[in-house]
This record gives sequence, structure tokens and C-alpha cells, in this order.
Amino acid sequence: MENLIQLRNVTKIYQQGKVQVHAVQDLTLGLALGEFSALCGPSGSGKTTVLNLIGALDEPSQGTILLEGNDLALLNRTQLSRLRRDRIGFVFQAYNLVPVLTAYENAEFVLALQGVPAKERYDRTMTILDEVGLAGLANRRPDELSGGQQQRVAIARAICPEPAVVLADEPTANVDTTTADGLLGLMEKLNDEKRITFLFSTHDQRVMDRAHRLIRLTDGQLTGDEVRR
Amino acid sequence: MGFMRIVFIAWRNLLRNRRRTLITAFSVAFGVLLSVTFTASGDYTYTNMINSSATMGFGHVTIAAKGYNDTPTLTRRLVAAEELRRQVLSNHEVENAYVRIAGQAMFAAGVKSIGGQVIGVHPLQERPEHNLFIRSIIQGILPADSESTGALIGAKMAEKLNLRLGKKLIYTLTDRKGDLVSGMSRVSGIFQTGEDMVDSSVVLLPINRLRRLLGYDAGDASLISVLIWDQRGADLVRQKLIGSLQQTGYEILTWAETQADLAGLIAIDRAGNYLMQFLVGLLIAAGILNTLLMSVMERTREFGMMMALGMSPVQVVIMVMVESLMIGLLGLFLGAVITTPWYIYMAGTGIDFSSQIGQDYSTSGVLVDPVMKFRLFKESVIGILAGVFILTLLAGIFPAIKAGRVPPLASIRGI
Repeated sequence: MENLIQLRNVTKIYQQGKVQVHAVQDLTLGLALGEFSALCGPSGSGKTTVLNLIGALDEPSQGTILLEGNDLALLNRTQLSRLRRDRIGFVFQAYNLVPVLTAYENAEFVLALQGVPAKERYDRTMTILDEVGLAGLANRRPDELSGGQQQRVAIARAICPEPAVVLADEPTANVDTTTADGLLGLMEKLNDEKRITFLFSTHDQRVMDRAHRLIRLTDGQLTGDEVRR
Repeated sequence: MGFMRIVFIAWRNLLRNRRRTLITAFSVAFGVLLSVTFTASGDYTYTNMINSSATMGFGHVTIAAKGYNDTPTLTRRLVAAEELRRQVLSNHEVENAYVRIAGQAMFAAGVKSIGGQVIGVHPLQERPEHNLFIRSIIQGILPADSESTGALIGAKMAEKLNLRLGKKLIYTLTDRKGDLVSGMSRVSGIFQTGEDMVDSSVVLLPINRLRRLLGYDAGDASLISVLIWDQRGADLVRQKLIGSLQQTGYEILTWAETQADLAGLIAIDRAGNYLMQFLVGLLIAAGILNTLLMSVMERTREFGMMMALGMSPVQVVIMVMVESLMIGLLGLFLGAVITTPWYIYMAGTGIDFSSQIGQDYSTSGVLVDPVMKFRLFKESVIGILAGVFILTLLAGIFPAIKAGRVPPLASIRGI
């Protein structure tokens, strides 16, 4: 199967004062279309750094990252911005919704950035909000929603533009067990029905248990890659 | 993302801290109030002074014999002035025009004499609204016609020469050839403008008597005093007259040239006015800058997240600039609300400062109205609007650029 994402000998070094921190070391990894994978490992193992590198939010110190065959290092700022907008969905640990926008407006945010016509935007957003179980709460602002509901809006925002991959950084870290199960079920369903590729960073055992592939990182190095389904 | 969408988000951003937005908008509104106060009092006072000066003999625009403005002697004649006047009156920007003879003279009564200025006028043509001396008559009347033997003199001159109505006034001046000639009139009226220098030196005589005395031909004069509907159009009228008048041997000057002292005074006062407004504008811009900067610093993560999702830095810059402009527009609206009643009161009633400066306060030989009133010209309104617009735009630039430079990764790290 052709890789959607390919990391080749990727190293990321941060300079913290006089100390060099090797966040990721010589990582080679491929992710195929439609995968439901989890990056796991203890805190400081480099999970978030890998997501940031794949999400074109950060640049590797060494190595190559390809997304749909495009070398990210060859793209300028504007092209990277468009790539993030059109091909990558982000779900952040702290939901990160725009506080002044309603659930509907947050969910359609990226579609608006893409310039999708209003009617199509409305139809697509309402369909997704319905799928994530928030159609009745579309007009509520983030501060009127629970943590789980906010994370659902964030997921809706990530998948509305139909990206190639959704990168989710600890998506269940701030929600209770029941909500976390619901969110995972939702993402599994979207992966199953829409063939959207998901890559999580997590050290939540429930996420690891439901992931189809488990990529283990320790001190920035690949220490395990287990395909379960 | 379309511009209207950015405007929509910017508006919501302003609403998230309503109190801060309102306080900032009110500071803009207060600036509008101050700016209107400075500008409108200037527009009113300057217009009043210019119009007052124009009715003291020379008009808003003066057509005079060549060199007369530099050396205003009676040897310099404007030939066929009456015909020129008819041509001038065909211009629709001209309210009226008056042919006049004006020059230096010695006035005597009994054993006393005094130097001053004689102005020859057509008594039947002159209208009080265009002639300060006529509307300041306190005793008697203007000489009946241009052949009359009457003279209208200032109250201070009457006092110094011990003159009353009906008394003889002897005047000596130089004729068209430079020879000394004398004439005699009887005081038909006394005026009092309140400006001592004017009241002690000016005498109005019938123009035809003066022409004969000076050896002028029937249509000759020193100048044509042109009064226009709006003093701001003096330059334009001057240009039009230069283009339309057929004869030669004259020069056309605006009030700023014939009343250079007054023009200088107004220019200095206006510059001070602009400086004050600029400083007020700076203070207001600093307020907007402070508000927007705080707002941007509070939203660093939000901007980072938006850019992580694909919003371009330019769109973020535009969003913050729009917020700045919206504060400006809101401030203008609030400014209009708080300024309108103030303006209406000041335009109608004004504030009477006569108890502080007296009724006869004058500067550069021109009486100043002791009642401060407002008048706002269209270009002043446009200037204030443009000033607020530009200031809010400038105040928004730095916070907007700062917002656009937020690195997405650094700002969302740890989220």
C-alpha cells in the first residue's frame, strides 16, 4: 500500500539554552491512507514533535517528510499554510476553539478559509455536526459546551474539509472516561465510514487499545511498531 | 476566507470585551468632540474675521491699479473701474462689487488736524452688510448721494477734531498728478466700529466729489472691492476674474494679500490649532494601540491556532486592522452622538466672552466677535473623518503585524 505520509531518517533537535535536546532521532516511518494509528510513549518521548513535524508546524533538523508525495521542505510558508488548511486536520488536547464563534462557526472555520460557497459550507458542516451528535447545539459558543462537546466540535472542524489525515494530540486527555470512549467511537466510525486517516499521540491506554496500529517512541526513537488489524 | 467573514470575526472579537472596546471608542469620541471644538471655533472665528475685514474697504478680492497694494497712493488709478465692476458682477460667485477711491489724507477742523484714510464710495450702491462703517453708524447718515457734500467720520476722529453733525471737515490729499488739493465736507454721520485705530482715521466721502477733486475721469477709482458669497472661494474667484476680465493695467489680489497681517495671524493660529489636534490624536492613537496590543497579547494562542488551521498571516493582520478600524468607526459614531448637541448649541447660542475680553476686542485691525460660536465647513468634517480613520489605521498597524507574526507552533505548544 502506498504511504500517505513518509518520514525518512527524521531528526529534530531543539536548542534549550546551551543544551541540545534530541526530540526525535533518525525516525523512519510510513503511514498508509485510512490508518487509525497511535503514537505512544511516555512524556518527552517525542510524540507531539512527530505530530508537529507531520502537520508542517515544525521543520526537521535532518531527514525528509513526504505528505502525499510532496516533500514538505520544498514548500514555502504560503504553500505550507495551504497544505495545513486543505490536507491536514488538527485536534488539540485543549480543544482550541475560537471562543467568539459558535459551534457551527468553529466547525466551518476551515471551510470558510478554503472559500467553500456558503450553501455547500452549511450543508457539509451541518452533516458533520449531526454525525458528531451536535446538530442541536450548533448555535452554542464554546463556553456553553462541555469539554466532550467542545472536543466533538474540534473533531468536526478537523474533518469538515475532508483532509488526508487528522492529527490528534492527546484528544482524550481532558475529558472523562465516558466522554473519551464516545470520542474514540466517533473517530473510529469516521475512519471506518469516510476512510479518514487518524494519527493520535497518546499515553491513554484506552486509545492504545482501540488503535489499529501502535507506534512506540522512547526518547525520540522508534522502539516498536505493532499493526493489530 | 472572505473579507466579510474576517469583518464578522473581528466584530465578535471586539464584543468579547465590551467594556474595553467602549472605553476605547469613547476616547475616540472625545477626540472627535475636541477636534470639532477646535476646528469649528476656528472655522467660525476665521470666517468672521475675514468677512469683517472684507467689509472695511477692500473686499474678499480686490481689483486695484497695478502697484496700488504696495504703494496705495492716489496717483495710481484704476481706469474705467465702473465698466470693470459690471464685468465682475456677471460672475455668479460674486455677491457684490463696489468701486472705491482709497488713499491717505489729512483731516482738519478748526486748528486741529489728524492723518487718516479717505474712502470714496457710491452712497446709493453701498449696502450695510458689505460696509462695516455704514452698519456702525451711531449718529446721522451716510452722505445722500455721490455728489453730496456730506462725510461719514469715525467717532474717535470726531472726538479728536471736536466735530459734530453738520460741522465742517477739511481734507487735504494728493491728486492724480501728485499735487496737494483740499476739499471741504460737512459731517453727515458718525460711525463707531469699536476699533479705535479705525474710528480715529477713516472718513467716507461721496466718490464723484472726490473724483473731481483728484482730477479723476468719471469711471476712475483706486480699486474695486469684490465681496463673494464664501470667503474660501477667494482664490478661485481671483483666478476666474484673471481669466475673464478684458482690460489691463490692474492687479487682482485676495484678502490674504491685501490683509497680509490678518492672513499671517490666521495661519499661525490655525497651525497651533492643528498642532493641538495632532497631539490629541496621538493620545487617542496611543489608547487604541494599547487596547489592541493588549487584545493581541491575550490572543496569541488563538492566532497561532488559526494559522495552524491554515489562516494566512495576512488574513490575521487584516483581522486586527479591521478591529482597529471598527473601534475608530464606533468612536466616530459615539463622537457624532456626543458632539451634535454641543455643536448645535455652540452654532446657535455660543459662549459670550465679552465680560472677559470686552465688546471691542480686535486683532490685526479687525474686530473679533466676543461670542465664541461654531461653524464647520464640509472640508473640515472630511478632515476630521479622515484624521480619525488614518489614526485608527496607524494605531492598528503594529498590533496587527505582531499578530501576523505569531509563530503557530510556539503559540500552540502546550495546548
